[in-house]
This record gives sequence, C-alpha cells and structure tokens, in this order.
Amino acid sequence: MSASNPSESPVNRREFLVRLGLTGALIAGSGLAAKKLWQPNHFVPGFEKEKGLQLRSYAPEISKVMPSLAIAHGTEHEKTIRAAMGLLGGMERFIQRGDVVMIKPNVAFDRPPALAATTHPDALRAVAKLCFEAGASKVIVADNPINSPTGCFFKSGLTAVAAEMNLDLMYPETNSFAPLSLDGEVLKEWTFFNTPFKKANKVIGLAPCKDHNLCHASMTTKNWYGLLGGRRNQFHQHIHSIVSDFALMMKPTLVILDGMNVLMSNGPTGGRLSDVKPMNTIVAGTDMISVDAYGYSHLLERDIAELTYLHKAQERGLGNINWKDTLYKEVTV
Amino acid sequence: MLLRLKMADQKNYGGGGRKQFVRTKVPAAESVSAAVILVLLVVIGFAVWHKGKVFDPNLYAVRTDALKSTVLAVEGKNGTAPTAAETTPAAAEAPKAVTEKTTGADEPAPEGGAEGSATPNPAEKGVPLEISLTGTKPMGDTEFYTADSLYEKIDGRAPAYQSFNVVALRCRSFAVNAAPGSYVDVYEYRFDNPVDAFGMFALERDPKGKPLEIVADGYAADMGYFFRQGAVYVQIIASDTKPETLAKAKSIADIRAKDLPADDTGLAGRRKLPADGMIADSVAYVPENAQGQSALKEVFQAKYKFNGAEIPFFVMVASADEAAKAWQLFQDFCSKFGTTENLPDVNGGKIFRAQVFGKWKVVYQREGELGGVFDATDEAKARAFIEKYLRGEIK
Repeated sequence: MSASNPSESPVNRREFLVRLGLTGALIAGSGLAAKKLWQPNHFVPGFEKEKGLQLRSYAPEISKVMPSLAIAHGTEHEKTIRAAMGLLGGMERFIQRGDVVMIKPNVAFDRPPALAATTHPDALRAVAKLCFEAGASKVIVADNPINSPTGCFFKSGLTAVAAEMNLDLMYPETNSFAPLSLDGEVLKEWTFFNTPFKKANKVIGLAPCKDHNLCHASMTTKNWYGLLGGRRNQFHQHIHSIVSDFALMMKPTLVILDGMNVLMSNGPTGGRLSDVKPMNTIVAGTDMISVDAYGYSHLLERDIAELTYLHKAQERGLGNINWKDTLYKEVTV
Repeated sequence: MLLRLKMADQKNYGGGGRKQFVRTKVPAAESVSAAVILVLLVVIGFAVWHKGKVFDPNLYAVRTDALKSTVLAVEGKNGTAPTAAETTPAAAEAPKAVTEKTTGADEPAPEGGAEGSATPNPAEKGVPLEISLTGTKPMGDTEFYTADSLYEKIDGRAPAYQSFNVVALRCRSFAVNAAPGSYVDVYEYRFDNPVDAFGMFALERDPKGKPLEIVADGYAADMGYFFRQGAVYVQIIASDTKPETLAKAKSIADIRAKDLPADDTGLAGRRKLPADGMIADSVAYVPENAQGQSALKEVFQAKYKFNGAEIPFFVMVASADEAAKAWQLFQDFCSKFGTTENLPDVNGGKIFRAQVFGKWKVVYQREGELGGVFDATDEAKARAFIEKYLRGEIK
C-alpha cells in the first residue's frame, strides 16, 4: 500500500468514533423522522372502518295454534292472496293500526309482468290493499335492482301500482346504504339497502316463484338478495351459502310466494311465455324455508333434495324444510 | 467503490499504544462483488433515465371512469352503463337514422371486455342501437354491457351467457305509439363466433316457437322473436300480446335480421341437419366430446319424427381424414362395450351399426361428414333413416 494514496491514509480512533457517531445519528434521525411522518391511523375518507348494523327481527310471536304456513289455490291474485292470509288468521294478525309496512318485491329485471321474472303487480296490489285494510299507515315498496331501478319498477308494472295505491316507492339512492354486519356463512360485512328499514316496523317479502340459473330457484329466501348493494355478483360463487345466510339476516313479519304463474325455465330472467307455467297458487307463511320448500317441490315441481340452500338453512336452525311437519292449512278458492 | 480502511501505526494519531491493524490484501470475491454493484448502479441509473425519457404522462392520470365505478360500488350501486351519447362524443353527434333501417348494424361490436382481458374495456364503448321505425320511439338510451358487466343487466343469468363466450350486450327499448304503455325490448348479445351464438340460442330455444323465414336459426314465440344472425343472438321481446305490440316486434325483427351480417362460420354441421321431420326445439350444439368421444367435436344434433319413432341424429363436419379417423375410433369404442357390424356402403357413405347398453347406433362417414343415429330403440328405423339420408331422400 502506498502511503501517498489519500484513500489509504490512516484514520485514527477519534476520527473513527466521530464518523461512527455521525452515521448513527443520521440513522437515528431518519428513523425518528419516518416515525413522525408515519400515520398509523391513516384512512381514506369513505373507507374508514365502520361498525355495521344488525337488523332487528320483524317476526311475529310464534303461535302454537295459528298456522305458520298457508297454501291457497285460485285463479285471481287478490282472491287467492286473501284466502291464504285468511288461513293464517288474516293480515290483522301481522299488521296493526299505524304500522309502517315495507314490502320487498323482486324487481331484479326490467321485464314485463307476463314473463314472471318479477313480482306481479296484481300481487303487490293485493298485499298492499290487505295491509291498508289491517290499518297500516304507510306501505313502502323497496328493492335494489342492480340495473336502472326506475326502469325495472316501471316495466314490471309496480310503478303503476304504487301510484294507484299511494304506496311509498323507495328507489335505492347513493345514501340509501349502510354497512351490515352478520355472522353468516359468507355474509359478514356488506353494504345494505337500509333506508326502508329506518321507517318500517313490519316487513313482508313478496316474491315470484322462478327457476334460477345458478341456485336452481329464486323464491322468498333468495328475494332478500335484492337488499344487498355493491358488487354482489361475487357471491354467485357461493350462491347457496349466501342465500342460506338470508334466513339469518332477515326475520320478516311474513313472506308470500306468488306461484300463480311460475317461471319454470331459463330463469331468473326468462323471456318467453313458454317458460311460464300457470300454477295458480299462493303460499304465505312466517317461515321462509317452509314456504320455499313447498314452492320448490310443488310449484317448480322439483326434488327438494337438490336445493342446497334450504338444507343449509335448516341445518343452521333457520327454518323448517319439512313443511308438512309445520302447522299448515290449504284451501282452494 | 471499495472502502478501504487503514489504521496507521502512528502514536500521534491517538493509537494509545494498541496494536495496529493494517489491511494489506483485498480478496478477489470482494473485488468482484464491488464490480457487480458498480455495474448494477450504472444499469439502474440508465433504466431510471430511460424511463423518465419515455414517461407516459397518462400513466398515473386519474381515470374518472374507474373512480365512478368505485364510487358506485361503495354506494351500493353499479348503475347503468353510461350511454354512448354520454361518453362517446362521436356517437352523441351521430345523426339519427332517417329511414327504416338501423344504423351501426354492421359496425363492429363493442370492443373487448371478454373475460380475462387485462383491461376490460368500459361498458360505454359501443354503437347505439338506432331503429327508426314508424310508430315506435326509443324509451331511453342504448345500454352496453361487456361480458364482465353483463350481470348488471341479467344478474344470475349472466354465467350461462359467459359459458358460451359472450362478448357484449347492447339493448334498448322502444315504445309502441299505437299501444300506450306497450314497448318492445331489443337485446343483442354478441358472441365470439357464430357457433357460440348458436349454442346459447339453442339452449334457450322455445319448444313452441315457430320457425322464422328471415333467418336460418330463429323462431317466433308468443311474446317475441328470437334468432341468431352471425355471431349475434337477438331477442326481441314484446311487453304484451297486443296485436300492435307484436306487429312492431315483428318489424324490428325483420329489420335487425336484414341488417345484421349473416355469418355461418363453423356452422357447416348445422346446415347438414335435414329439415324434414325435425322436432323444432331439439337442435343442440355440442362443442366437444359428443357421444363421449373426444374425436367428435363441434357436433350438431337434433331429433326427428320418422316412421312413428323419435330418432336422435347427430352430424359433424371436418376434414375427410379426421372424419374417417373419428368414425373408426367411434366404432372401436362401441366394440369395447357392445357389438358392432359394418353395413353396406350407401351413396359413398360407409356405415356401421352398434348395439351398446341395449341401444342402437348407426353411424356413417362420407368424405368430411360424420353422423349417425344414436340411442335408438328400433334398429331397423335407425338404419332406414341413415340410408334415406345418405340417398338424399331426407332433406
């Protein structure tokens, strides 16, 4: 080593310690600065963690003498729905004077009523009429079609019924949603169409009975899917789990399955009258699993063993798939 | 650069009389490592310089459409795809159709959006569906959906279309002036090819549909018209069965069938299915593994009423070599699970019959055409059907 090379000039202990100290101070300073700049509670507005709501139960008290399931056969919506409700003890059993009732139809598509892909306007008219007759002060109609709510309500004929019956038609708006918390099989935290539930103290599900491409059938349990917001199609991967979760999420006052005209194939959208079969039946009840069990076996005329989501719900104690074991009544109008 | 440290043996440097350390040798590995680091620094520096030189100012630009999607999702609504008029200036400025013709019918479909594309194209890209038909009026703007956003329109039905490689949907509603409150919905599902369009069309076929004369694959249903033209599966759905509504639906069907380009690529097998005795709703397309045979691909099949029996018939078109090979493989397969017998040739077609699991198959091969009757209970009728078909007596 040449002594003339500056890079090889000796460093004494003092200088070495000074350099070491400076380096250490620099590292420590950087660390302190980073810590000061770091925002452990950093959040983007709108994305902060929120505590989700939990829906209350709207279910009536369990009766040991009154039926929990009613099956009515007829050719006209109103007469048949009246008959079914009569078997259950009348709408007065569920709706009292001054109640604000939310009716949840299935308005998922902008299809005309004849194609049976959506809740039929005659069914809505009849149920709303019964609610008012029982003393309801207001009837809200709400659903969250993914696509163009106004178009779906209009083409399904429900807008006209709402206008005719002075119903409070509630479209999903940007501020209509709130996070929902649920200890479901797949449904844990999700955005939920909450506004109607702030006003209503009774909830009625009014669903058509129809074939479904992914989960075999869309009836009263699947109907609550329409209350979810966001990109809910991701649940299609776990369709039976999510549908069974709805029996946990929602404890309605009553559910009514419209099986007057059943979409037997190419569901859930249909598109041809040949997909629709008149079954002339209304099923009403307090246990949506029992109602759907009847609908699947007797209206869609399929083997109940294949409808996984009903079995999942039953296994979790959320309903009774064996509808014949429940207190039920049947009538032909 | 290597850091070399040398602590000199000099008392005036504060050595304190301790033993001095002098580094006299640098290991070769250290020199090599230093050289590699130097080279890497140069490479990184060059890469940074180059990246800066070709920097795309749009790389980190705000994509408002993406933000819109996010906002809608957070708010719980995916919403309707913006219309072309809202998002495509050229489309918004395009003049409306002035005759009883559609505009843009021959235009390419909305681009991309197929599943798996790295950057799905926004749903709003597309040519508006303009139908100027006396007595009708558009009820709103054209809606556009890609394969990825199709669920927004048809929700749980979307996977069925995706399984046939749907590329896009555009749809629009038209009010019928003569019937207040009535309307006609027009859905045009564009697939990646005519065969897939046919597959979806066949899956949803109305068993009571009456064949349309305007297209090869189409039917009139009680409340609408459904047909495949090229790679497009068209659904024209009336809101009701009023004569005025159905008449307009028919007119729209005629216009769309005329304006959409015909393309039967891949459907040669379909053309081979004879029309005589065909049960209308029985036509099906099997893309692969037909009859459980890997060699039977792109097969078309249908059921026929023949001499009081229902005859299931299939046909495939391929090269002559492929057809011959598939015919032999099929016969070999049948002989493993049943009995087979070669029958006399008919009009250039070689035939074998087989009985497998109690059912009869009569299979022919003529040049690039392979077909036959399968799952027949009556061997004589199955054979007679094939022989008549090969002689051109069933057309």
